[in-house]
Formats: sequence, C-alpha cells, structure tokens
Amino acid sequence: MTTRLLALVLTVLLAAGAGAAAPAQPQSGGTAVVALGGDPETLNLGITTGYAVGAVAASIYSGLVWIDARGEFRPDLATAWTVSPDQLTYTFTLRQNVKWHDGRPFTAADVKFTMDEITGKHHGRFRTAYANFESVTVRSPTQVVIRLKRPYAPLLRLLTVFDSPILARHLYEGQDPTRSPRNNEPVGTGPFKFREWTRGDRVVLERNPDYWNPVYLDRLIFRIIPNAALRVTALEVGEVDQVMDFYLPKTDVDRLRRNPAIRIRLGQPIPSIGFLFINTRRAPLDNVKVRQALAMAINRVQIVTQAMGNLARPARGPFGDGFRWAFSADADYNRLYPLNVERANALLDEAGVPRGAGGERPVRLRLVYDSARAPLVAAAAIIRDNLRAVGITVELQPMDRAVMIERVYTRADYEITIQTFTSGGDPAIGYHRIYASAPPGTPFVNATGYSNAEVDRLLGQAAEVADQTARSRIYAEVGKILARDVPTLVLFDEIGVDAARATLRGLWTGAEARDRWDAVWVQK
Amino acid sequence: MASGGLTLRRYAGGRLLQAVPLLLGVVVVNFLLIALAPGDPVATLLGEYPAPPEYVARLRQEFGLDRPIPVRLALYAWNVARGNLGFSFAYRLPVATLVAERLGNTFLLMATAIALAALVGVALGVAAARRPGSLLDAASTGVSLAGYSIPDFWLAQLLVLLFAVALGWLPAQGIRSVREEYTGLAAALDVGRHLILPALALSFRYMALIARLTRASMLEAMSQDFILAARARGLPERLVLVQHGLRNAALPVVTVIGYNLAFVLAGSALVETVFGWPGVGRLLYDAILQRDTPVLLGILLMVSATVVAVNLAVDLLYAVLDPRVRY
Repeated sequence: MTTRLLALVLTVLLAAGAGAAAPAQPQSGGTAVVALGGDPETLNLGITTGYAVGAVAASIYSGLVWIDARGEFRPDLATAWTVSPDQLTYTFTLRQNVKWHDGRPFTAADVKFTMDEITGKHHGRFRTAYANFESVTVRSPTQVVIRLKRPYAPLLRLLTVFDSPILARHLYEGQDPTRSPRNNEPVGTGPFKFREWTRGDRVVLERNPDYWNPVYLDRLIFRIIPNAALRVTALEVGEVDQVMDFYLPKTDVDRLRRNPAIRIRLGQPIPSIGFLFINTRRAPLDNVKVRQALAMAINRVQIVTQAMGNLARPARGPFGDGFRWAFSADADYNRLYPLNVERANALLDEAGVPRGAGGERPVRLRLVYDSARAPLVAAAAIIRDNLRAVGITVELQPMDRAVMIERVYTRADYEITIQTFTSGGDPAIGYHRIYASAPPGTPFVNATGYSNAEVDRLLGQAAEVADQTARSRIYAEVGKILARDVPTLVLFDEIGVDAARATLRGLWTGAEARDRWDAVWVQK
Repeated sequence: MASGGLTLRRYAGGRLLQAVPLLLGVVVVNFLLIALAPGDPVATLLGEYPAPPEYVARLRQEFGLDRPIPVRLALYAWNVARGNLGFSFAYRLPVATLVAERLGNTFLLMATAIALAALVGVALGVAAARRPGSLLDAASTGVSLAGYSIPDFWLAQLLVLLFAVALGWLPAQGIRSVREEYTGLAAALDVGRHLILPALALSFRYMALIARLTRASMLEAMSQDFILAARARGLPERLVLVQHGLRNAALPVVTVIGYNLAFVLAGSALVETVFGWPGVGRLLYDAILQRDTPVLLGILLMVSATVVAVNLAVDLLYAVLDPRVRY
C-alpha cells in the first residue's frame, strides 16, 4: 500500500516535472468549467463559510491578502502591512485605483464597513478574529488600521477572501446583509465579474478587464453537478475542467490517475483531520484508561488503507501532523498508542470492565457518523471490528448530517462519533474549539465534554503568541496532555486531491484550490 | 349539450371543493412531520464554525422557529391560504420564486417521460396483444419485466456510461451546454439533447407498466363480441385494433398514467439529482438535506395539488374516451 502511495506521489512529481520542462506562455481567452456539488446558497461570501459560496465568490471578491501554495502571505487589496512590536496594531496600505465592478472606487472605508458590519457579525470564521478587535480605523482612503485588544496569532490568515472578503459599502450600507438583493448579483473587486446564476445549473463569471493582475480566461463557469460519480464522468468526457478535492469522490482517484488527459494535485496545503470523538461524560468513557484502550485497539493504518484509499496518513497526534511546528514527539501516537490489542485488553480490565462469560465486556458504544460520506461509513465498520476484538460492542448509527449535528453537538447523545475538521490554515482557527472547555450545545465545538483548565490556558496562549518557536513549545505542552487524556482520538490526516483537465494551466498557485483563477489559462 | 357542459362544470367544481380539506390535511400532516423530525435548520445553516448564542437566537427568531409548533402551523396555514409559501431559510428568497424558476424544467422532463412511456408502452402493449405468445410478445414481456425491476437511478448511471462516456453521443449531465451559447432553435435543440437520457431513465418504469397494462386490457377488449362484429363487417385489422380495441382498452391505461403521476414526480427527484437537471425534484432533495422547511413544505403542497388536479383531469377525460360515462 505504501508503494502505491509512493507511486502516486512520483506520478504527480513527474507530471509536474513534465509541465515544468516545457514552460508555456499563458494564453488569453477561453472558458474554464468548474464542477460544484451543490448550489451556493448565496453569493455573499461575507456572511457564510459555505464551500460552494467560497468556490464561486472568491473570484468575484478580494481579501486584503492571499496565501500562496507554499503558505506565504501575498498582497491582494493590501499591498503592504506592518505589525507593531506589541502585536496589537496592524496597518494596511491599500492598492490604489481599484474599482468595484460597478465602476465606483474602492477605499479604506469599504474595509472598515465590511469588518464592522458584515464579516465581523456574520462570518463564522472571521467572527472569532473580530472578537479580538479593539477597532478598525480609516486613516486615509488607502490606509486602514486594525487595533487588537490582545494579540491574535492567526489574524493575517483570516484576512483572505475566504474569511474577510471586502464588500462594497455603497451597496450594503443600511441593509440587512443576509437579505440584500446584491447577494444574488454580487459586485466585487476580484478578477471576475458576475454575469448569470441559474440556480441548480450554473453560475457564469466573466473577466474583469480592470483587475490589477492579468486575467486570462474570458469566462469562468461553475457547473452544479450533485451526483458525485457524474462529476468525475463530466471531467473525463471534458464537460468540466476541474473538480476540487471537496467534491471529488476518492474511489475514482485511481482511475483518474491513469488518464493522461487529467492532471491531479495531491496534498492540499491546508491540513484537515479525521477524529473519533469520545463522549467523556459517559461511563465508562469518563475513565481515561478506557479511552487509552480505544486508542490502542483501533487500527489507524487499516482505516487509512481500506477506508481512505490511502489518501490520508495515519494520525500521529492530537493536532495531526499537518503543521510540522505544532507536532511533538512527546505526543506521538506511534509511541504512545501503537496498535496493541493485548495492552488494550489489560487497560480495560484495569478500568473495571472485565469480559463476561461470553467474552464480551459490559461496554456498548453507539458510533454516530454522517451516512453520506463513504469513507466514514467504511471507517465506522473497521472501528466496530477493531473494538469487537477487545470485547466492546459497537452499534453503528449512520444518519444524515442535520440529524448527526443535533445528536452529537446539540444533545451530546452518543458515545463515539467520527468527525472531520479542517484547520482553516492554523490550529487556533480550526482545532482549538474541539479541545477548549465549552458548554454543550454549539455545533462543531467541543462535543466530548472534555474540560481541562491547563489545556484552556495553553490554547489561549497559543492563539496569542506570534512567534512560531514559542508557539511550537506551547503546542508540544498541550499536545502531551491531550495525547495522554485522549478526549478525541485523531484517526488520520487527510491528503486532499484536486483533479483537472491537463489543458487547464496555471492552476493551484494559491493554498486554496478555489483561489487565484486570474492566473489560470487554457492551453489551446 | 349546454346542460351537459353545466353538469360537467358542476362536477368539476364539486371535486375542486373536495380538494380544499384534502390539501389542508396535507399542509398539517407535512408540517407536523417535518417539525417533529430531528435535525435543526439553523444548525444546518450555520455551517462548520461556532456562532454566538445571541446570533443563533436571532436567526431562530427571524425564521419564526422560536414559537411553539401550533402557532407556527397556524401562521403557515394562514400564509398559504393567502398564497404566500414563505421564505427559504437557505437561499433567503421567496419559496415561490425558487419553485417557479424550476417548475418548467421539471414539467418538461416529466411530460417528455410520460409521453415517451405512453407512446412506446401502448405500442409495445398493442403489438404484444396482437399475437399473444409470439416472439414479440415475449420480448415485450421481457422489456417490461426489466423496466419494472431496474431502479431508475441505476439505469440513469448506465445510460450515462453507454451514451455519454462510451459512445459520446449525448451529454452526461445538465440542461444546457456550458461552453457554447445557443439561441433560438439551436438552444431548443441543445436542451433536447440534454433531455434524452433523463427522460429515458425516468420513463422506463412507466413504459413497462403501461405496456403490461395495455397488453392485458387489449387482450380483454379483443375477446369481446363487438370486435368479432367489427371483423365480421370486414373492417381492416388496423382499424379494428385501434378504433375498437384500443379505444376500449384505453380507460384503465389512462387511469394508471394519472395515478402514477405522483410517482413520476418522486422518480424525477432521483433522476434530476443523477443528471444534474435543475428541476423541482432536485430542489426538494436539497431542501431535505438542508432542512429548508419552507421549501420542503411548499414543494410537497404543490405536488399534492398537482396530483389532485391530474386525477380530476383523468376523471374528466373518461367522458371523452367513453361515451357511456356521464357526469
């Protein structure tokens, strides 16, 4: 299986090498068609973190910065920024002569208005950053200053188009931004202008000739294809040019790899992980020994090879291994929790749940998961088999997403559940909410009931300290505690796969596959 | 004649009046079923990042979800009575707008599928009934059996594999081409090309049903004395079959087409999803996943109203087909 993965990586490297060997000049013109799994619910990216909304609207709006494929911050609407030594004041110099798609000039007032009135109130991720804001001040039409109440390390990361797209003040002022007619006919400053949206069918964008960077494509079309298998078929027959990781059924990746007309990119730069949440409020899962036993009984490698089709790495710690600097050997699952059925059995005996006459322990766990996600369905079956080997009975409870959210987060009515989380580019954005103490009831926040004052303190620190070495130390410390307490068992680090027609060039210059369509062109 | 028209109108009016309590029942039952089902629209809408409790409470209030179920039901029924189907939680647009955008597409798909099923099904059935036990009869039975047993979403995928991937004759999905922009007749032909596979997938089952039923009904009609009489008068066989046989055999077939309309609509939800056909069926499917209650209720109500209307139309059609039927 490892050889297969290696072969996969090599293929991609070779493909990339082949591309590099014949550097082609970008050509203007043409259309790119991108598959989406469902309609965006709105085209106002300032009020939602919805994936489809981001896919379309990231090309219509701009953020202050963008993040390239190597994770570096690059200028977007802000051409330069400085941070004060106390990490509390961020000063942004804005790009000059930028126009909204309706022709009006873009200014610093738009930035302030968007953050104060739209993204700071309505955007799920940006709201967490905005909670640390003291003020946003317009110093001149091309200069804006953000002052913070306390340092917030991932701030810049949350100033991209996906987290804080800048919206036009003249179009949104005095309105409820969730109901503005502009949400269906968006006006931005991005590389493409909105042209048409036929719900259930397509969204059509066209080149913005006034964009600050050259834009090659005439049109960028998003095609809505709800059936996952058909998205791949459409890519293969050339009806669409790109399917992003989020919409790509992983079972088809092997077949796509063998197709010379298709190019794939492995390993998206934004880490995301799959967890087994363990409800620590419920006996016997309130006993750390039982949780540690689960960690030793569950075969993470088997999940990766059989359920994830090798498009993941077996997890190695409470924050995965996607952020090298946040990973520490002290929290390494390979050392702490290698697969060891014997030791798991011993831990369970010690925890006071011995096997009965039939060999079964008095432990019955309901495993809740989203039935629409095939890899999770397969992983659940593996976990059931793994735990049967140590005498634990697992009852599989597949359910649809809305019911799953209610059962796991609102009512905490489960024993174990498989969930996947994206980091959002920083552990403080995506992962802290899983471990920090929180009352039950909020979706996608601490569902295990785990609460540890020391962990809370360290996570708070990790969000505030900007220096990466210092952050590394903090994550090592908190990682050690979390690895010992196992409120969640991280199962795998996902390896994202994006697929595109080989004729589409200039793709994936951003960390996000949804970003930087200005650089994309069609090879004729 | 005039008095006949009057009674027909009175009959139709009476039937429409009967539909009012029926539709009210549909509203109440659907509303309660959805309200009591697990899954919170607000949680589904908020996405993957935590929202402050005040924000959640505000949304709940905005959507009216903070009120007790009976109050919500009464308000909903009152709004529906005034022709207001409400506001979609997910799209934040009027339900009527969302449905209206797609109604035409679904109608086109359903009408094509039903027409196809009726034409081919009746033809197959008549051909089979002409010579029971013949090879043609066996083939027709075989096709019917297959059509009745194959799930339409699976057939849909097979059709795509064959006609879009292997042969490359037809587009795999969607309603219009994306890369080319057509106008006028070319645009209509483009939609037609996209229509073939979904319509075929949707119609297959009904084609089978209609073929079986036509065959049985024809066999019965053809054994009647009036057929013998017609033949004795030396009428050409084609005239005997169509004018005398089929017209008498058509009644149960028309009934079945009418009564199955609701099932065709249900099937269209699957077929539309498989083919990316932007119709009401798919809107329904999305609304279920997103717990977009107003959209869900609006579509269910509309479907019920359509079924009531079609059944009425079928009953009225009897009078046209069968001179013995009078209202």
